[in-house]
Amino acid sequence: MSEPKRLHPISTVVNALKQLKDLIIPFLVFVVFGSKNGGFQLVFPAVIVVLVLIGGILSWLRYTYRLEEGELRIEYGIFVRKKRYIPFERIQSLDLSEGILQRPFGLVRVKVETAGSSKGEAEAVLTAIPKEAANLIQQTIFSAKNEGNSTHTEEDVQKNRDESLYKISTSELFLLASTSGGAGVVLSAVAAFVSQFEEIIPYDKVFNRFESFIASGVIFISILVFIGFLIAWAIALVGTMVKYAGFTVNKAGDDLIITRGLLEKRQLTIPLHRIQAVRVSENLIRQPLGYCTVYLESAGGSALDAESSKVMILPIIRKNRISEILSPYLTDYHFEPSITPAPRRAVKRYLVRGLLWSLPVAAIPVLFFRPWGYLALMLVVISVIVSYFNFKDAGWNLDHHQLTLRFRTINKNTIFMKRSRIQSLSIKESHFQRKKELATIHAKVMSGSGGTSGKVSDLEKEDVYEIYKWYSYTK
Amino acid sequence: MILEPQKRISERGLKVWRISGVIHSLFSLLLSGGLIGLTIAFDWPIWIIGAALIFYVIDTYLFVMLIPTLRWKRWRYEVRENEIELQHGVFVIKRTLVPMIRVQHVDTKQGPILRKYQLATVAVSTAATVHEIPALDMNEAEELRFFISKLARVADEDV
Repeated sequence: MSEPKRLHPISTVVNALKQLKDLIIPFLVFVVFGSKNGGFQLVFPAVIVVLVLIGGILSWLRYTYRLEEGELRIEYGIFVRKKRYIPFERIQSLDLSEGILQRPFGLVRVKVETAGSSKGEAEAVLTAIPKEAANLIQQTIFSAKNEGNSTHTEEDVQKNRDESLYKISTSELFLLASTSGGAGVVLSAVAAFVSQFEEIIPYDKVFNRFESFIASGVIFISILVFIGFLIAWAIALVGTMVKYAGFTVNKAGDDLIITRGLLEKRQLTIPLHRIQAVRVSENLIRQPLGYCTVYLESAGGSALDAESSKVMILPIIRKNRISEILSPYLTDYHFEPSITPAPRRAVKRYLVRGLLWSLPVAAIPVLFFRPWGYLALMLVVISVIVSYFNFKDAGWNLDHHQLTLRFRTINKNTIFMKRSRIQSLSIKESHFQRKKELATIHAKVMSGSGGTSGKVSDLEKEDVYEIYKWYSYTK
Repeated sequence: MILEPQKRISERGLKVWRISGVIHSLFSLLLSGGLIGLTIAFDWPIWIIGAALIFYVIDTYLFVMLIPTLRWKRWRYEVRENEIELQHGVFVIKRTLVPMIRVQHVDTKQGPILRKYQLATVAVSTAATVHEIPALDMNEAEELRFFISKLARVADEDV
């Protein structure tokens, strides 16, 4: 397969559409605010569209790829001709995805990722090539990378690919969609609706008819808003279901491959050795149900996508099943360590920290907008509850080479980190913490082009120093 | 209990921080001066002048005297064969460990004030974080940069 090949002609349409999508706002501005005389403001966009199409065809004509001398060689460019040669051993992953335009023709979009493809951009993208060609490229590259390692025959590759970790079930998919952020919107809508209702009752008693007319207007509007939210939620529900339908995780060689999507099939590859940490996140709705989401923090591979480096590996899973599913593959992680909680005396500091912002915020309405301002005291109550749960969920564990930190921001997070993957470790002590013999621990791991971190406040000082000593290379 | 890191940063660094504090206090001078001017011009209540003066004095004291002194006192660092340890903070004291094998590169930086006092800042970068040791003697900073980069090269692992 050394002769230069072109992409499938449909890629002209794909590329042109992508460019037009970027132009849509300038277009609208031009049409709406353009001069009124003559059809100029209609002709001009038409000319642009034609130009974009011609450009798409030209760049398709110029774009060729071939596999030659252990390299993927791509040549492209209309005016400035560019050649990009990527050696096979530099290629970290090939991700195949099928868009709506590619699917009817049996085509795939191939994203070529190398370690250097930072800034969220792939090293190279083959917009539309036949599936067989993509498989051929995959096999060529895979066998080239495993040269000398004769145990890896093609059969092996095939067998490895079939090793499945996880496949989302229909009920899980529905649960995922209905407990995602969209559901939060609904809950807040219901809350807003109910609170409106409560406020309206004294309204009617106190004010005259005219006022009650406005009040009924308020009811009407809040019903409308509620219905709007409901529709938004339904859309979010369907959107999530389409996005995550058929979510599967497979293991191929030393990579985990995630496939998902109903209309547009997407694929993500995560090399196992690039995994920096595992994070379990339980949002407010899923936690009481015993469900959670598992993310991998990865440093490279196709994980550096627009969706950031946090790769969702198990979108929704019963908490007690994580270990069963992931342990065989992430062998050096322990997913069920016994967490040591923050000491009892830390609870005061957690509460004070919550009150520090909620009291002043609540004080203003209480002082200036009586009597309704007293409702702001609810904020203080909420902050106390939130602070208490922040305290309850704080904890840590040390297990050989693994540090586990548990903390709550809004969601409850548990982050599992290997000592060899932690980039830096800090402890913090304020004056008040020192008096109570408490300290804060903060561990950072690499994730994507930046970092991600676990931070737990007000743990037992001795525990924190133990973690610090564990991390230190100077024994 | 682990021993605290021992090395301090240059004493001239304290001077540089005080100078930065003075520059900072020029802004608060402008602010409170403006406020006093407005109060006189528009006959606002007299306590505003007092408040502005007190604000200026406290602000200047904090940023020129107290904070640089505390900051300098607290700043410690130590570069060992296999890790770098930093300790700093004014009210909250923070101690950080950076293993040598995680270090990706080392920079030295110098602003105009630092240059005048022959000082430099050393910045140690890992894959995820950047850690700075401010206001070291220029020669010391150079040496340190060389030392760290040499050790970091030896201990190269993946990521």
